[in-house]
Amino acid sequence: MLAVLFVIVAACLAAPLYASRIAHTDPFSSNIRGTTLVDGKQVPVMQSQTGGLGLGVTPIGPTWDPGHYLLGADEQGRDVAARLLYGGRNSLLIGVSSAAICCFLATLIGLVAGFFGGLLDGVLSRLLDIVWAFPVYLLAISLSVVLISQGIDLGFMTITAGSPWLPVFIIGLVFVPYVARPIRGQVQSLREKEFVEAAIGLGASNVRLIFSEVLPNVVTSVIVFLPLMVAVNMLTESALSFLSIGVQPPDASWGTIILDGQQLIYTRPWVAIAPGVAIALTVLALNVFGDGVRDALDPRAKLR
Amino acid sequence: MKRRAARIGIVTLGAAVLGVIAAACGGGATSTPSSTPTGSTATTGGTDRASLMAKHRGGTLNLLAKSAGGTLDPQVNYTLQYWNLYQATYDSLVAFKKSGGQDAFTVVPDLAEAIPTPTNGGKTWTFTLRKGIKFSDGRDLTVADVVASFQRIFKVKSPTAGGFYAGIVGADKCLTTPATCTLDGGISADTTAGTVTINLKAPDAEFLYKISVPHASILPANAPSSDAGSVPIPGTGAYMFTTYDPNKELVLARNPSFKEWSVDAQPDGYPDTIHYGFGLTDEAEVTAIENGQADWTLDQPPADRLNEIGTKFANQTHLNPLTAMWYAPLNMNLPPFNNLKARQAINFAVDRNAAIQIFGGPNLATASCQVLPAGFPGHADYCPYSANPGTTWSAPDLAKAKQLVQESGTAGQSVAVVVADDEVAKGMGTYLQSVLTSIGYKASVKAISGNIQFTYIQNTKNKVQISVSQWYQDYPAASDFLNVLLGCASFTPGSDSSINISGFCDKGIQARMDAALALGVTDQNAANAEWAKIDAAVTDLAPQVTLFNPKHVDFVSKNVGNFTFSVQFYWLVDQSWVR
Amino acid sequence: MVSFLARRIASMVFVLFSISVLVFVIFFATPGVDPAARIAGRNASQETLAAVRHDFGFDRPLPVQYGIMMRKLFISRDLTSFVNRGVAVIPQVTEAAPVTFSLVLGAAVIWVIAAIVVGVAAAVFRGTIIDPVLMILGLIGISMPVFWLGEVVNLVTQNRLHDSVFSWVPPLGYVPFTSDPWMWFKAMVVPWFVLATTYAGLYGRVLRSALLETQGEDYVRTARAKGLSERRVLIRHTLRTSLIVVVSLFGLDFGALVGGSALLAEVVFGLQGVGKLTYDSLQNLDLPVIMACVMYAAFFVVVANALVDLVYAWLDPRVRHA
Repeated sequence: MLAVLFVIVAACLAAPLYASRIAHTDPFSSNIRGTTLVDGKQVPVMQSQTGGLGLGVTPIGPTWDPGHYLLGADEQGRDVAARLLYGGRNSLLIGVSSAAICCFLATLIGLVAGFFGGLLDGVLSRLLDIVWAFPVYLLAISLSVVLISQGIDLGFMTITAGSPWLPVFIIGLVFVPYVARPIRGQVQSLREKEFVEAAIGLGASNVRLIFSEVLPNVVTSVIVFLPLMVAVNMLTESALSFLSIGVQPPDASWGTIILDGQQLIYTRPWVAIAPGVAIALTVLALNVFGDGVRDALDPRAKLR
Repeated sequence: MKRRAARIGIVTLGAAVLGVIAAACGGGATSTPSSTPTGSTATTGGTDRASLMAKHRGGTLNLLAKSAGGTLDPQVNYTLQYWNLYQATYDSLVAFKKSGGQDAFTVVPDLAEAIPTPTNGGKTWTFTLRKGIKFSDGRDLTVADVVASFQRIFKVKSPTAGGFYAGIVGADKCLTTPATCTLDGGISADTTAGTVTINLKAPDAEFLYKISVPHASILPANAPSSDAGSVPIPGTGAYMFTTYDPNKELVLARNPSFKEWSVDAQPDGYPDTIHYGFGLTDEAEVTAIENGQADWTLDQPPADRLNEIGTKFANQTHLNPLTAMWYAPLNMNLPPFNNLKARQAINFAVDRNAAIQIFGGPNLATASCQVLPAGFPGHADYCPYSANPGTTWSAPDLAKAKQLVQESGTAGQSVAVVVADDEVAKGMGTYLQSVLTSIGYKASVKAISGNIQFTYIQNTKNKVQISVSQWYQDYPAASDFLNVLLGCASFTPGSDSSINISGFCDKGIQARMDAALALGVTDQNAANAEWAKIDAAVTDLAPQVTLFNPKHVDFVSKNVGNFTFSVQFYWLVDQSWVR
Repeated sequence: MVSFLARRIASMVFVLFSISVLVFVIFFATPGVDPAARIAGRNASQETLAAVRHDFGFDRPLPVQYGIMMRKLFISRDLTSFVNRGVAVIPQVTEAAPVTFSLVLGAAVIWVIAAIVVGVAAAVFRGTIIDPVLMILGLIGISMPVFWLGEVVNLVTQNRLHDSVFSWVPPLGYVPFTSDPWMWFKAMVVPWFVLATTYAGLYGRVLRSALLETQGEDYVRTARAKGLSERRVLIRHTLRTSLIVVVSLFGLDFGALVGGSALLAEVVFGLQGVGKLTYDSLQNLDLPVIMACVMYAAFFVVVANALVDLVYAWLDPRVRHA
């Protein structure tokens, strides 16, 4: 399965190469009135129907020729295969970076809440409770709808409207309780352990304790969570993009390509099927990989 | 008028010239309408109609829509979805003729006995009410109801209260303090004579049009003085609303108190019941109609079903051109489109046929460069932004566009296209982004919810440079496009309600528009000739990129006969039969 | 016990209150959401706009507006939409709820049965090829985006094979159980299976690992030593204990789904459920509906959390006797 993952990542990284050298296409620019060569004839990429009342326009179907329109065109006459590779870059990027943000924040909160306890723990746990009480998809959707058209300005960082960092940020945030809760529990039990008590007895500072005694013990769990979070986050990203509140046009992700393909599903099903297969394969590979990591490091770790 | 977006297009009224098509296609497989050359069929009256009525009266017509159209109050609602139904349920003093073809632009007397000649230099209109008309709750219609209804326009804060009815004496006070609106001096009734007199501040060539739309419906005087929401208000039409649940259905039944008084204004209808179901997807709607489980859908068919209905179900599909436009307003107060050359450049660069492809193909729309749609009063073909500048659009001129961008010195600037998030509008946005990039801008596209996009692009605070929008006529007058969309009075910086999205305000052109409006009171033909010149002058200044004039697709079941398409209010629902 | 319940309820109320404030504040902090122009209608004059703004109280301080909204939502129960003038909010939620409930309940039945079959089979046949095959199938179920699976299934049942195998599948959309139970069933079967796929995979895997874990526990070994048959041990002891894990998962998932998380399935299958309503209201920025939906969803999640704790105590002998 690792090989599959590797192939997918490599293919997506090679997207610009494919688009410019093999398919000779710009996957981000409309080609509604363009033509392409099929069986020695120039045919329009977007074909107007002529039968009956002559309603409707159908994009060209798969040519099964990597040189042009391997998987056909989408509703803007763009090469679906090229967009699929470019879209994969975004999907993977969002999955990985949001998982990283999520695990970082969750570890931070889990450490602080679990180690210090008391009022701090109370406040943080209540916060987690509030986020937890939102069905996670609904929370992600709510935030996206509100933020996607105006962006966000947090003072120290600004994310402009439509930026792919917006879904990264949102997805990273909403899953924090899922990771933070188990970590907090783990830290709490670690704090009771003899070696920590001993260190406290020896007068070690809190910061030192956290970094030298507690963190190393928590890190394995985080590592176990990471690939599984990437998988979950990629699914979430595709859902947001499918609802048109994730990656914004003309950028692509696998979710947005499924959305584009939805309106062509009966006439050109490949536009929607291909990115779905790509997501399923990637997520499957990540899950298998994640399971392997867990079995090797910490068989009892559970995400929820 | 701007109306709710459907998937392919937007759903509204219109279609001037080729009403003949409505009759030619009129009637599904089972109908044999006696078409007249004007395109009006069942509404021509006489024995013909009586025999058709005897043969086809009865049954239930099943309509579908993805969602309901909001409040049922005819003085508040501003959607085609219900304006269409109000034709059969409510009446005004005068009405657009219920007929197919160009005739539907004619105003005929409705609750009034006749169309009066205004006195007092065109400022005073005295209407005599017909006798014997009853509301659906059995009460008699009186002049007091008329007065109350005009006051109610302001009390319920009708969207067009300030736009259409501010010309009535006393309207200013009603607009600022709606609750206590009396329209003192503006409207008065004479109970014994059965007359209602309306005084205007100035003569208005479009006054009859303005009181023919549903916002001027005559309702019982005791109707609630705030938006009635989902509770039906009794009306005088051939049908009445019986049940309304915005998440489920809307049902119309025959008005038991109705007696036909004018075939032209309020004809009796064929079906006994009209049932409107909400909640199916557009795909499911098309399937239901194909299977004969439903008779019609409000929503335009999804893109991948168009070919199917255009071939397998061609005789159940009706195509009618609309007096409407899809356009991209250019913000004249923000770079880069505060520069005339930049605006002209994008006009030269946009391939109208590409936009039409996105809309559903060449048979669904007509390319255009100008403001007034074809078949509209004052329209004269004009297109300076074409590879061969002249009367009609032929092809884009990218070289010229690139050159203009260079000359304007705006090359390399950032431009964001703001569109609604339905498939077609998003497609247009993506295409425009592509075009802008190709002529030298750093373009991006921003899709926001269709329900907020329209107010969002109007507000200057949101700094929208270019957007995609649509405009559908309210009534057949050139001012409804030119003066409403591009008049100085329609531009209010910082407000969500500033329909002049381009922020176009040219003193000289405004003066010409005002003069044309005044001229229309005495000589409409001369005024229309002047509007044509104004249209050309505005088009030269390029406050917008006009994309195309859309056509409307009606897909009906094989049970539906006598399909009649009004250029003003679209399909005359109750004039079709199902048996 | 009483103090436990009181604390539990207090914390529920606190969470719900915080969420409502949060939603309210976020809404008004978002630029471009002023509902007045949309309520007033297209091309409304500035006077009309001002009158509408005053009418709906948008010119009053936010805490007052919040109070009015809460009063209308919970006490007078006549809150109306900001977008569809005059349309009451609460009936919208109560109309959408049965749709979602039908969808989630049917799917839950399917996924619980499937998960038990898969989990038990994989545990029983451990060491044979059946175990890894079932587990990979489960993973595939988890890995497919539900909306994509729905699209593909629609393609097959509504189009490609609609003239043969799947001619019985009605057009997309909901048919109320009360109007035609058989049609209701036919319309829901496909969405049920699609929604159940992910959860069947997930629960099957969870159940298997729980079964294997429990098999090693002392009391199971004792039961076996007492000479009970392997099947009896599995069903009476191992499965029962292992189901605890599933029950707690189930409670949370079921609560979230009923509260609106089934949104994606609702969107692809054209079902006007709570999730779709929430999504539409968010898209329309229709605060009253958003508020009602979010409160509804959060309520289910919070209650589900509490119920899970109770059921946990009831099912697990160790917790019960502790």
